[in-house]
Amino acid sequence: MPPLARWLARRLALTLFVLWGTATLAFAGMRLVPGDPAHVIAGGVQANATPEVLETIRAQYGLHDPLPVQYAIFIGRLVRADLGESYQLNQPVSTVVLEQLGATVSLAAGAAVLGFTLALVLALLTAGRPRAGALTRALEFCAISTPNFWIGILLLGAFSFSLNWFPVLGEDGPRALVLPWITLALPIAGVLAQITREGLERALGQPFTLTARSRGATENRIRLRHALRHAALPVLTLSGWALGELLAGVVVVETVFARQGLGQVVVSAVNGRDFPVVTGVVVLAALTFSVINTGLDLLYRVVDPRVRQAAL
Amino acid sequence: MTLSDDSATRTTERPVRKRGGLRSRRPVVLIAGLAAAAVVGAVIVTVATRGGDRPATQAAANAAGAPVTGGTLTYAVAGTQVSLDPAVAATAVTGLIDRNIFDSLVAQTGPDSFGPWLAKEWKVSDDGKVYTFTLREGVTFHDGTPLTAQAVKASLDHVVDPATKSAYAASLIAPYKEARAVSDLVVEVTLSRPFTPFLQALSVPYLGIQSPAALAKPVAEYRPVGTGPFSYVSWEKDKRVTLKRNPGYAATPAGASHQGAAYLDGLVFEFVSEDATRYGALTSGQVQAIAGVPPVNADKLKALSGFTLDTQETPGLNYNLYLNQTRGPLRDVRVRRALSASVNVEELIRSIYFGHYKAARNPLSATTAAYDVGAESELASYNPTEAARLLDEAGWKEKDKDGYRVKDGKRLTLVWPFWAEGNKDQRDVLAEGIQAQAKLVGIQIDRPTVDTGAFVSKHLIGGGYDLIDVSFARPTPDVLRFAFASGNTYAKAGGNVALVDSPEIDKWVEEAAETSDPETARRDYAAVQKEVLKQAYVLPLYTPVQLVGLSGKVRGVTFDAQTYPVFHGAWLGA
Repeated sequence: MPPLARWLARRLALTLFVLWGTATLAFAGMRLVPGDPAHVIAGGVQANATPEVLETIRAQYGLHDPLPVQYAIFIGRLVRADLGESYQLNQPVSTVVLEQLGATVSLAAGAAVLGFTLALVLALLTAGRPRAGALTRALEFCAISTPNFWIGILLLGAFSFSLNWFPVLGEDGPRALVLPWITLALPIAGVLAQITREGLERALGQPFTLTARSRGATENRIRLRHALRHAALPVLTLSGWALGELLAGVVVVETVFARQGLGQVVVSAVNGRDFPVVTGVVVLAALTFSVINTGLDLLYRVVDPRVRQAAL
Repeated sequence: MTLSDDSATRTTERPVRKRGGLRSRRPVVLIAGLAAAAVVGAVIVTVATRGGDRPATQAAANAAGAPVTGGTLTYAVAGTQVSLDPAVAATAVTGLIDRNIFDSLVAQTGPDSFGPWLAKEWKVSDDGKVYTFTLREGVTFHDGTPLTAQAVKASLDHVVDPATKSAYAASLIAPYKEARAVSDLVVEVTLSRPFTPFLQALSVPYLGIQSPAALAKPVAEYRPVGTGPFSYVSWEKDKRVTLKRNPGYAATPAGASHQGAAYLDGLVFEFVSEDATRYGALTSGQVQAIAGVPPVNADKLKALSGFTLDTQETPGLNYNLYLNQTRGPLRDVRVRRALSASVNVEELIRSIYFGHYKAARNPLSATTAAYDVGAESELASYNPTEAARLLDEAGWKEKDKDGYRVKDGKRLTLVWPFWAEGNKDQRDVLAEGIQAQAKLVGIQIDRPTVDTGAFVSKHLIGGGYDLIDVSFARPTPDVLRFAFASGNTYAKAGGNVALVDSPEIDKWVEEAAETSDPETARRDYAAVQKEVLKQAYVLPLYTPVQLVGLSGKVRGVTFDAQTYPVFHGAWLGA
C-alpha cells in the first residue's frame, strides 16, 4: 500500500469515528434536554394537543421504547444513511436538508471566496508598510469586533432600504446575495488579513528574501512567489476556524436578510426539538468539517515540502 | 566582478527595485485609499441609521378611484410555520395564510353574530346538540371537486383524527361527536353536549373546509386545497408562500365588501422575522404590506407620506399575568392583591409602547362579546400603600437587608419563568418594569430563563411557577372557560395557568357555554370577570394590537373578526 493511500485510509477511519461521536452526542444532547418530546412534536407551547394526540405521537415515533433501543434504532438507520423523518415537516430529513443546502452553500462559498480574496489583497498591499498597516489593522479590528448582525443591519439600511441598490426581498438572484456575502466575509477577512500580514512580514525578514532580492527578483515576485508560500501555512490552519465561523454566521445572516437556508432549518428544528433534523444537520456539519480538514492536510503537503517528508 | 562592492552600496541605500506595483512609490496613495474606506464606512452608518426617514416620493393618492384588477401584493409577516394544513398547525401565520385559501361554514360578522358562508343556512336542535347545515350550491374546490356534505364531514373528521396530530383545531371543537351527510348539500353535526361556541369555532380558518380529494393524499404530499379566493401555488420553506387568484370564486362570506373573484392576480407571504428588516422592506417599497410594525416605528410610519398604519385590537384574552394560586405565598389572596396593587401597569405600558398598546383592566379585551366594563372595579389597581398594608396584614412584615419582605425567615420570592423563544413585543422589558415595581413594596420576582422543553414539562405541566404571562386571541367570551375552568389546566390542553379551582367559576363558564339564552351567558361571563379580578388570579397588562403597515398603493384591505387582514377585495392603485 503506498503511503498516501494508507494515510487516506486512516483519515477515513478517523472521519467515521468523528461522525459516530457527533451523532451520539447529538442523540444524547437532544434526550438530555428536559421535556416531553411528544409535546414539542405536537406543536410546542401554543399547541393545545389532546392527550390522545400525544399518545399517537409517542407510539408513532417509538418514544415509549427504552433509550438504548431508541439509540440502537437510530444508529442502525444512520449506518444505512437514513437520517429519518422530520417530526415537524413530515418529510425525510435528507429532503429537508438537500432542499436548503443550495441556498446555504451559495451564501457560504461566496462569502468564503470574498473573505479570502479581501484578506489576501489587504495583506499583500500592506505587509511591511507600518503606516498603511496600522490603518488597515484598525479597520480589520472594527470588522472583527462588530457582530455580523449589526453589519448586516447597517448594510441593509444603507444599500437596500435607502439607496435601493440591492433588494433583499422578492428577488432571489445574485443581487440579493451581495449584501449577505459582504456581511459574512468582513469578520473573516479581518482575522485572516492579520494572520497573513504577520506571516508575510516574518517571511520578508528572512534571509531567503534578501537572497531573492539579491538575485534580482522583483518585489511582486518576492511577495507572491516566496513570502506568500510561507505565510500560507497558518492561514490554511485557520481555514478550519473560518469554516466554523461561516456556519455560525449563516444562521444570523439568514435571519437578518430573511433568506432561506440550513441556518433557518437548524434554528426552527432546535426550537421545535425536531430531533431527526438536528441530528441530520449536525452529522452533515461534522462530515463537512472532516472532509475540509482532510483537504487542508493534503494542501499542507503541497505547500510545505517538509510535511511530505515527514513520517506518514 | 565587483559584486561585493555593489551589494555593499545597495544595503546602505534604499532598495531601488520598485517596478512592482505592489510596492507603491507613494504609500500616501494607499493611506488615502484606506482613509477613504473609513469615511465610506462612516457614511454607511449614517445612511443606514436614517434609512426609512427618507420621505417617500410617491404621493398618497387619496382619490379612491375604481378598483383595478391585476398585480401581486407581497405581505411580509413575522414568524414561520411547519405545516400549511390548518387542521394541524397552531401558528398564527398559518391561520393568516390559510384564511385566503379556505372558506368556513359560517362567518363571524360581529362580536357575537354569525352569517352564512359556505353554509347558506343552519338549524340548531332544541337540546343544542345537533347542528344541521345546508350548503351553498355550485361551489367547487380549487381542484375541481364539488363542495358537498361529504366534503364537510371529511374536513371535520380529519381535524379530530388523532393521526392528524392537530395542535389547535381539534381543541376548538372538543364536543364534536360525528357528522352525517343527510343529502348532497345537507350535513348534520352531532355534539356530545350543548356547546354554543361551536359556530364561532367553525368560523376560524383552522376549521376551514378542505377538498376531500386533497385530504385523501399521503401527509407528505399535502397541498392546501380549499374554495377560497386564492389558491395555493408554492411554499418555499422559511421564505415565502405564493398564492394566485381563484378566477371562479363565488362563495363570499356574509358582510363581504366585494363579490366574485379577487382583484389581485397573486398574493405572496414573505417570512421576515427580523423587525428592522421587515419595516425597511416596507418603507423602501420592496413589499407592499407588513404585519407587526414595531411599536417604536409606528409613529414614524404614520407620518410618512405614502404609507398607512392600520391598528386592530385583538379580541379574546388580553396579554395577562396569571398568578398561580396553588403555590407558596400566592395562596393568600392578600398577597395576590398586593402584587396586583404594586404594579403601575398604566405607566409601564405607556412608556414602553408609546401609546400604541392600551393598558388593560380586564382579562378580556374590550372588543370581545360579553366584555363587562364594570368588572374593573374589582381590580386591585396601582396603590403601593395598600399593597404594603396587605402584605403587613398577611404576615410579611419584616424586611431583609435587600429590602425584600420576609416571613418565618423566608423571603417573599415569586418565580416567573422567562421563555425566551416566546418573547415578543418587548414583553421582557415590561417584565423588568414589573420586577422593579414589585421590589419597591418588597416582593422579589425571579426570572429564570428556560428553554421550551423545560418550560412545558417543568413549569406549565409541573406547576413549578408562581407567575406566567400569556395572551390568547379568539373572538369569543368562551376564552374565559379556556383560561379559568378547573378542568382546563395546561396538562389537559387548556389555558388555566393560574390553576384556578373554583366550583363557582366552573358553573358559570359551563352554563354560559351550554345555554341558548344570551342574557344568562352574559350574566355568567360578567360574574367570571369580576370574580377573577377580585381574587387577583390575573393581572391584566395590555390589549395586543395588530399593527399592519400598508403602502399607500394598497386599497381595499379589510379585517375580519379575528383581525386577520382580508385580501379578497384588495387591489393595487397607482
